[in-house]
Amino acid sequence: MCLTQKTGEMEQILEVKNLSVLRVEKTESISILNDINFMVKKGEMFCLVGESGSGKTTLALSIIKLLPKSFKIASGEILINGKNILEINEQSMRNIRGKDISIIFQDPSAYLDPLFTIGSHLQESYHGKNENKKELISLALQEVGLDSEVQTVYPHQLSGGQQQRVMIAMALINKPSIIIADEPTTALDVLTTRQVIDLLNAIRLKHNPAIFFITHDLELAMKTGTRIGIMYRGHIVEIFKPGREKPSHPYANILLGTIEGKDTILELNFKKNTMDSKQMQQKCPFFDMCVEKEARCKKTIPFVWCDSETGIRCLKNGRNTQV
Amino acid sequence: MKKLVLKRLLQLIPMLIGMSFVSFIIIQSSPGDYFAQMKMNPEISPETIESMKVNFGLDRPILVQYLLWLKNMCKLDFGVSFAYHIPVRTLIKFRLKNTICLAIFSLVISWVIALPLAVFAGYREGTFIDKIFSMLAYLSISLPSFFVALLFVYFISKTNLLPLGGTRSIFEVDASSFALFKDYMEHLLVPGLVLCLVNVGGLFRLMKNNFIETFNTPYVLAAWARGVPRNSVIFKHALRNALNPMFTILGMEIGGILNGAALTEIICGWPGMGSLILEAVLSHDLYLVMGSLVISGFLLIVGNLIGDILIAFFDPRIRIS
Ligand SMILES: Nc1ncnc2c1ncn2[C@@H]1O[C@H](COP(=O)(O)OP(=O)(O)OP(=O)(O)O)[C@@H](O)[C@H]1O
Ligand SMILES: [Mg+2]
Repeated sequence: MCLTQKTGEMEQILEVKNLSVLRVEKTESISILNDINFMVKKGEMFCLVGESGSGKTTLALSIIKLLPKSFKIASGEILINGKNILEINEQSMRNIRGKDISIIFQDPSAYLDPLFTIGSHLQESYHGKNENKKELISLALQEVGLDSEVQTVYPHQLSGGQQQRVMIAMALINKPSIIIADEPTTALDVLTTRQVIDLLNAIRLKHNPAIFFITHDLELAMKTGTRIGIMYRGHIVEIFKPGREKPSHPYANILLGTIEGKDTILELNFKKNTMDSKQMQQKCPFFDMCVEKEARCKKTIPFVWCDSETGIRCLKNGRNTQV
Repeated sequence: MKKLVLKRLLQLIPMLIGMSFVSFIIIQSSPGDYFAQMKMNPEISPETIESMKVNFGLDRPILVQYLLWLKNMCKLDFGVSFAYHIPVRTLIKFRLKNTICLAIFSLVISWVIALPLAVFAGYREGTFIDKIFSMLAYLSISLPSFFVALLFVYFISKTNLLPLGGTRSIFEVDASSFALFKDYMEHLLVPGLVLCLVNVGGLFRLMKNNFIETFNTPYVLAAWARGVPRNSVIFKHALRNALNPMFTILGMEIGGILNGAALTEIICGWPGMGSLILEAVLSHDLYLVMGSLVISGFLLIVGNLIGDILIAFFDPRIRIS
């Protein structure tokens, strides 16, 4: 039922193929991302869910080619609108950033330069022609529900929610085809979180950019995502469509259990994980904690696509299709 | 902003009073005084010395002496130097001018050299060229100023490249002001370069660390992510933020010009405050010591104030709170 090759091309904004990222230290290199495969299509809200340290931010930074110096992309392809950005130079990449792809970060106050006004931030974010700059900036602010007067103000004079709205205004000002949102609501309270999510969704429905939404909150992802990727220790272990099917990877099931209140499974999660990166590449990353493991799980498990949109990295890949 | 300056200037008064009181007590209760040296001189009669003491009010209790001094201070009368027999104010005015010229020269040159190099090296952190600069900076930091000064003096005296000691070699009445200026600058060059050399390494290192730190901040990452051109990221976001802590350093350097330059001035024979204070302390020239202390305290506070004003001016988080 599952295919090793995915079929059916749709409008793919972002496609990541066999991406592996290492962190190079003095004596050794540690595998941070391992054979990542996924794509994000036009206008969809793709949610990436994973626990802290699973490599979500690393993946986001890989996509805009802004990894810290110690990180190296070992292999793979990252296609934005069909162009492999790993093969283009820094100057061309700068033309893509903010224009075709933009990103919103976790803690907005840290990502706004304290010495410059909101207006100055917006102006340098805009890459288009100068004539309609002013109107477009006001329009972008209006779109995120902020007054045009906010331009004269400095970042520290705004609340966290307002700052995040400014980040969103900057992200959408050039009408990018994809917006990456890396845990954009983690630093915000529940109500502001709701507002920011609604805003992102409204923008998606109006301008049709794809949104690559990173979160550690599966419940939130289930509510808002059109597709969900589950990440575990540098691997995407499953991609599924909420509403159409339940995830079937054992780790995804554990995550689902936590939001359904099955605390028996939670204990498993706290068990110390003792695998090092070399072993991790050889066997299933979830091997030590998996309750359903078999002897054959001790070899490399590839990610396989079940259809054009969903896939899994598990030998037990008979997908549960009831809603 | 105005309030900040006013508040700080008002704070200056009790600080200066407290500092001068403590210094006065310490100087006057330390063993020996200027007149003890005079007594060794058989040509001066004990009566003369006694009448001098009365003239200076030094026969009164210490507290009264201090209050008298303070009263005169308020009229900007610093008293008369025992050794020079001229008003302390006149003495200090001449010497202070030289020290300030020296300080401004070395400050400007070392900042103009250190800051751009720091940004250059910080942007290329870990490369060969960065390592070379770091090594030179380390050398500059580890060499003591008196040693560099002695080396310079030795070198100049061997080669006669520049005049040594004093502030002028031209004494003609009809010398043009340009010739006088050039002459003054030539005298200034030796102590000025010594101070530069000692100062530049530390500044470089501070600025480089600031730059690297801001270059790795989230808002710089976000600027890259928005597709901001490289020069804007470096000079607008990273550099501007890296400069902020340097304003405090600048204030501290302005405040410390008397201490910072003293040794160099003495070794290079530059007639600044350094040698004046040293002589005054050694000979117990009370009012000269007190006058110099007040000036140095004043500079310290004003220097820090300048630093604070600059920060408040350039950092909206402080300006608009
Ligand atoms: N600057 C860094 N130096 C060293 N290791 C790092 C650095 N940044 C990330 N890592 C490592 O890379 C791995 C992936 O980190 P990453 O930040 O991508 O995780 P994440 O899923 O975004 O976590 P979180 O939910 O906490 O944001 C982690 O195991 C972490 O230890
Ligand atoms: Mg993260």
